[in-house]
Amino acid sequence: MPKFTRKKLLCLTAPLAAVPIAGKLVLEGSSAEAAGHDHAAHNTSASHTSTSHAAVGHAAMIGEGAPAVGGPHDLDALLYPPPALPHEPGRLRELTIVATDREVEIAPGVFFPAWTYNGTIPGPVVRATEDDVLRVRFVNAGAHPHTIHFHGIHPTNMDGVFEIVERDGELTYEFPARPAGFHVYHCHATPLKKHIHKGLYGAFIIDPKEPREPARELVMVMNGYDTDGDGENNFYTVNGRTFYYARYPIRVKQGELVRVYLANLTEFDLVNSFHLHADFFRYQPTGTGDRWEYTDTVMQCQGQRGVLEIRFAHAGTFMFHAHQSEFTELGWMGYFQVEE
Amino acid sequence: MEAGSSAVGRGVAWRVWAFVPILLLAVVVGAFASTGDRLLDLVGQSPPPADELDIRRVEFRPGEIRVLARNPQREPITIAVATVDDAIVPFTTDGPDELGRLRSTRVVIPYDWVADEPITVGLTSSTGIQTTAEIGAAVETPTASARGFVGYGLVGLLVGVVPVALGLLWLPSLRRLDARWLGGFLALTCGLLAFLGVEALFEAFELQAGLPGALGGPGLVLLGVALATLGMTLVSSRLGRGSGATGLALALLVAIGIGVHNLGEGLAIGTSFAVGELQLGTFFVIGFMVHNVTEGLGIAAPAARERVSVTRLAGLALVAGAPAILGAWLGGYATNDTLAVLFFGIAAGAALQVVVEVGRYAARTTPGGLRSGAAIGGFLAGIAVMWATGLFVG
Repeated sequence: MPKFTRKKLLCLTAPLAAVPIAGKLVLEGSSAEAAGHDHAAHNTSASHTSTSHAAVGHAAMIGEGAPAVGGPHDLDALLYPPPALPHEPGRLRELTIVATDREVEIAPGVFFPAWTYNGTIPGPVVRATEDDVLRVRFVNAGAHPHTIHFHGIHPTNMDGVFEIVERDGELTYEFPARPAGFHVYHCHATPLKKHIHKGLYGAFIIDPKEPREPARELVMVMNGYDTDGDGENNFYTVNGRTFYYARYPIRVKQGELVRVYLANLTEFDLVNSFHLHADFFRYQPTGTGDRWEYTDTVMQCQGQRGVLEIRFAHAGTFMFHAHQSEFTELGWMGYFQVEE
Repeated sequence: MEAGSSAVGRGVAWRVWAFVPILLLAVVVGAFASTGDRLLDLVGQSPPPADELDIRRVEFRPGEIRVLARNPQREPITIAVATVDDAIVPFTTDGPDELGRLRSTRVVIPYDWVADEPITVGLTSSTGIQTTAEIGAAVETPTASARGFVGYGLVGLLVGVVPVALGLLWLPSLRRLDARWLGGFLALTCGLLAFLGVEALFEAFELQAGLPGALGGPGLVLLGVALATLGMTLVSSRLGRGSGATGLALALLVAIGIGVHNLGEGLAIGTSFAVGELQLGTFFVIGFMVHNVTEGLGIAAPAARERVSVTRLAGLALVAGAPAILGAWLGGYATNDTLAVLFFGIAAGAALQVVVEVGRYAARTTPGGLRSGAAIGGFLAGIAVMWATGLFVG
């Protein structure tokens, strides 16, 4: 009698027993032939013990190995600002900014339902020289009411706070460009957190009367994305795409002056930061005044910004990233490729 | 002749008619499907899919983390990003990029994890929804080695077979008891089986709550309970030739009921240990031994009035105890939550059905029946003993 019962029990559970064996075969098969889908090139041939550290180190996060979206020149318009013009009081600078809703691929395969200025996150780099008159035609082609709030000194009815631009509406902002420095612009419709975090922000450079020293100029807007709506960012980037400058390092020359306009438009997290490896830079908060700090790490609160000037002493690959390790590993990391 | 053939004709028509509702259903379904979502748009717009994955198992291998994930929703999900402790990490998968409904894939992440420390593994869908699994302590997952196989087998033996066998050694003492006391011990058997049944039922409901909606549901538990209850009734009527099992046959029923439960217990031990949730300490094993020794007593009580050979006793011990070994192996190397739910349902049904069988027997053989002090006291004592010895395990 007991025999009969045991057999029944075994019959019941025999299919279960086959699972681990089958699973093991499948797994070993896939790792041996490297038939798996490689999502971010890691060395599948690396053995499980001593060399596994290389696969998880930064070496895996450069060039093709970095999980970034798009081609090498996709972000050129955001990285390289338009040229500075000489001081000429009263000169009219006209531009059009259109708010649109679109899905933006922020990390490989991850699509963020964004609200954008001119289709990108961050929006276009706006540049003027002090005492220019900016005339910004703003068209709201999005599904929600929006504004553009420029930082600077201007009449309050041009501040993008009280005059909400409804869907399909438009408004032209006109104000003198001042003070000289590095500023930001962003939507100021409520709920504020939502409108900014969705992607409505950008860099705003006002060149001083006395032009800055000629340099290789770059714009970096630090941001984050909360993709699952829990009030915490899941991804961090500069200029909108995770690990983009790890995949496509920024090429500069040894000894040339490199100027970075750095702004923080991260939502949810109080601060963001920029840290340069293997060299130092001087930092001018808000791009105003004569006070420069000599450092390799700067911290910015939400909406803070400043100007960095670097002259690389050596050639090579120089990492830069947020010094919040979490932000670094969630996408905010890149390299300068310094050539002789 | 004519009347006969028309009767046959009516019989066939009746059978054909039975297919008409099915055919009509197919037509209606087809018509509805061809309208696309237009009809549903009348009601309003559906919310987007949750895009949450079901992370079934996380395994730690040297320099590597393996995550078994399933798509629990109707719409397909694409795993776009893997994270470990809130850091984006490279990964490979052995399945398709886009996971269809209820499809699973194994995500392999090269990672230098730290032993014994908590770790959070996350998978992010293409819509940016992150599903995370928090592991209390990263511990290397046992692979199917001969050593581990023997180890799990030994644990199963220690918590299953050994205590049951020891408990059976009470048989000679039970033989000397008068009918009233023996009735008390039969009631005690009922009490402890009721305890095990409730425990298994609770476990089954808890497990099903964690399953994706399509796979889980209390109905699955009910299926398990019904399977076991009816199966045990069938076995009982065969063994007792229609009049309910007695003596050795009843002891066998009790052993089966306990065996099914011990399979679940072994499964739970093996799984928790494999995924690093359980400290498989000496005290834990001792606790289970103490807890399970009463199960042997439960099997022995119905057989107290019969001559039982040592071979048969050993057989009973194996039926009741050996499934713990099998469970530990299964839990240690593979888990299937859906089957586990069904399984705990079966364990609950089996235990509760045996309560009925033993109860009927006790009602016949105990002086004063089930309303006697011995029966009531024994039943309550059975529950109390299981609860008290359970303290050793928890």
